[in-house]
Amino acid sequence: MRHYEGISLGNSIAIEVQELTKRYGELIAVNGISFTVNRGEIFAFLGPNGAGKTTTVEILECLRRPTSGKAYVLGFDITKHQPEIKKRTGVLPQDFYTYERLTVKETIQYYAGMFDSRPDVDELIRLVDLEDKKNVLFRNLSGGLKQRLGIAVALVNDPELVFLDEPSSGLDPKARHGVWHLIDGLHKKGKTVFLTTHYMEEAEILADRVGIIHNGRIVALDSPERLISEHGKRNLLILKKTSPKAVPNIEKLGIKANYDKTTSDVTVHLNHAVAVSEILHTLSNTDIPFGELQLKRSSLEDVFLNLTGVSLGEEESGI
Amino acid sequence: MSHVVIDLKASLKTFWRDKSTIFWTLAFPTILILLFGAIFSQSSMRYDLYVQNQDLTDGKATYWSDSLITVLNSTNAFNIHMVDASVNGTDYALANRLSSMLIVPSGFNTSANIALYTHGAVTANVTFVYDQSTSSAPVVQSIVMSIIDKLNFELSKGVEYFSIQDLTIAPKRFGFIDFFIPGVIGMTAMTTSIFTSVSISARFKQNGIFHKLATTPLKRYEWILSRTIYNVLISYLGMAVMMLMGMAIFGMKMTLDAVSLLMVAMASLMFTGLGMIIARFVKDPDGADAAANVVTFPMMFLSGTFFQLSQMPQFLQTIAQVLPLTYVSEGLRAAMIFGQAQQAILNTALITALGIASIIVGSLITKWEED
Repeated sequence: MRHYEGISLGNSIAIEVQELTKRYGELIAVNGISFTVNRGEIFAFLGPNGAGKTTTVEILECLRRPTSGKAYVLGFDITKHQPEIKKRTGVLPQDFYTYERLTVKETIQYYAGMFDSRPDVDELIRLVDLEDKKNVLFRNLSGGLKQRLGIAVALVNDPELVFLDEPSSGLDPKARHGVWHLIDGLHKKGKTVFLTTHYMEEAEILADRVGIIHNGRIVALDSPERLISEHGKRNLLILKKTSPKAVPNIEKLGIKANYDKTTSDVTVHLNHAVAVSEILHTLSNTDIPFGELQLKRSSLEDVFLNLTGVSLGEEESGI
Repeated sequence: MSHVVIDLKASLKTFWRDKSTIFWTLAFPTILILLFGAIFSQSSMRYDLYVQNQDLTDGKATYWSDSLITVLNSTNAFNIHMVDASVNGTDYALANRLSSMLIVPSGFNTSANIALYTHGAVTANVTFVYDQSTSSAPVVQSIVMSIIDKLNFELSKGVEYFSIQDLTIAPKRFGFIDFFIPGVIGMTAMTTSIFTSVSISARFKQNGIFHKLATTPLKRYEWILSRTIYNVLISYLGMAVMMLMGMAIFGMKMTLDAVSLLMVAMASLMFTGLGMIIARFVKDPDGADAAANVVTFPMMFLSGTFFQLSQMPQFLQTIAQVLPLTYVSEGLRAAMIFGQAQQAILNTALITALGIASIIVGSLITKWEED
């Protein structure tokens, strides 16, 4: 356990942030946020571009100084013990880029040298699945491969905590899933991962806990499941090509149903009191046919929309 | 220090793998030397000719010395500048780095009269003092000789009454190319250091490489030191290639001493710092290249790299006096051609002071991340 400035962080806490604020003149990029990140967990900071995610993570990476507030990374004060933090953390910046004319292997060796560490370079290359590209110049790698190399570079010093800033931004779905697989692998190796993303699916799939940030403030913080459960819409059942008679029969179960004349679909907002099987049983008993059944789960997108009044895609201001 | 070596090794690797950088650093100056070396002496223009008339009577030019100067003036080939008869002509030419000077010695008038009376039993001599490392000296010399030949023909139908004696103020083994190559070495140190600093800083900033480096234990000063050493090494490489080419193709013999090596290193330091200062004020790589061109292009042409300063209009010569590359080129020539240790050391000291100042300012204002 480390003790600095009267703060004692237990071994279970990797990051502690208290009333952190960052101003740029009149603009408040980060507005008094507080949170903790537990060791060994994947913590996702979810929000649109310009919400304050990158500013926060760059403060934690010791690249920017906060205007006010406190932050401790692995027990070290970010304003006083920057070398100690840098030695113990790995960073994947947004859109990782490096010397264009160094190969994959040389790039890893270069950054390992900066940390005075001697990692098993071939093992790192294997970890990010770049064995057949190890002698390829950085400039000749695709976006997804560059990000994978960036993750390998973030691990050269065997860090306790890894910051990943928008790790899959701009990647195609296949490359994105490859990066997610790597992040999941880090989690399994016991690393603490601090992830910023504006992809709700990324946060939902990867994160143990999600902090939703909007206009520099954290508006919600919990596990994805609990956030969806508390702030998301209810799950939606859609009965395709059915009869309007289905509506009164379903409503007899105590839940509301809507009929769309143009599509002949009936939509039902599910709640915990009624199971899908009960609805199907009712329709079967009354001989009401339907063409297809769709079940839509509520997501973090709904949570964000519910909490902020805007969807993630609508917010693209950029700080 | 190990971080500096690691970054330096990475930079050198990328240099060898970047064909365009190799072209601009090594091939471009080489082509420049070949082209200028081949064509420079064929230019035609009005030349400066310094004349010292020592053949005076009661402070006035004698008949024959005055006639000779009048004939030279009437050709419109020269801008004639008269030099005080009381000074030592050769010393004056050396001290003022004159490319050519004609000395009419005392007794010239008497010798001319005797030559006429004896129909060429003796000749009246003038002395042509010149620096054959300059492009204009051979041209001026040939014009002066043809004028004297014509004078002889007019007076005697071919018998030599007047003759010309050569006196070079630069060691004979040097030629125009020896003047030119130190200038190109200085120019290459400038372009390499400024373009590398400005362009790398802008690109590293835009691509986020500074951002990534800032998350490692690498210190900013270590990176700057690495870039400075890199620029010095590349400038030395350029210097070696140009000297080897000069020796192999033009048969030149060049003096390479500690002062010229220090001058190239300090010039790289100064231009690296200047590049960092420029980089601080540009927003993107395109703007960086444009800004670097704005600074390097005028210096390239106004600092006596390609032409002697004395051949430029007076106002451009005044501008050249405030351009640091002028002192680099002049210092390198002083060390490598003229063997003028004092001027070489003086110029090197000036560039060292400017280099230290510019690298300190450049380092202080260079930021990897905006706070």
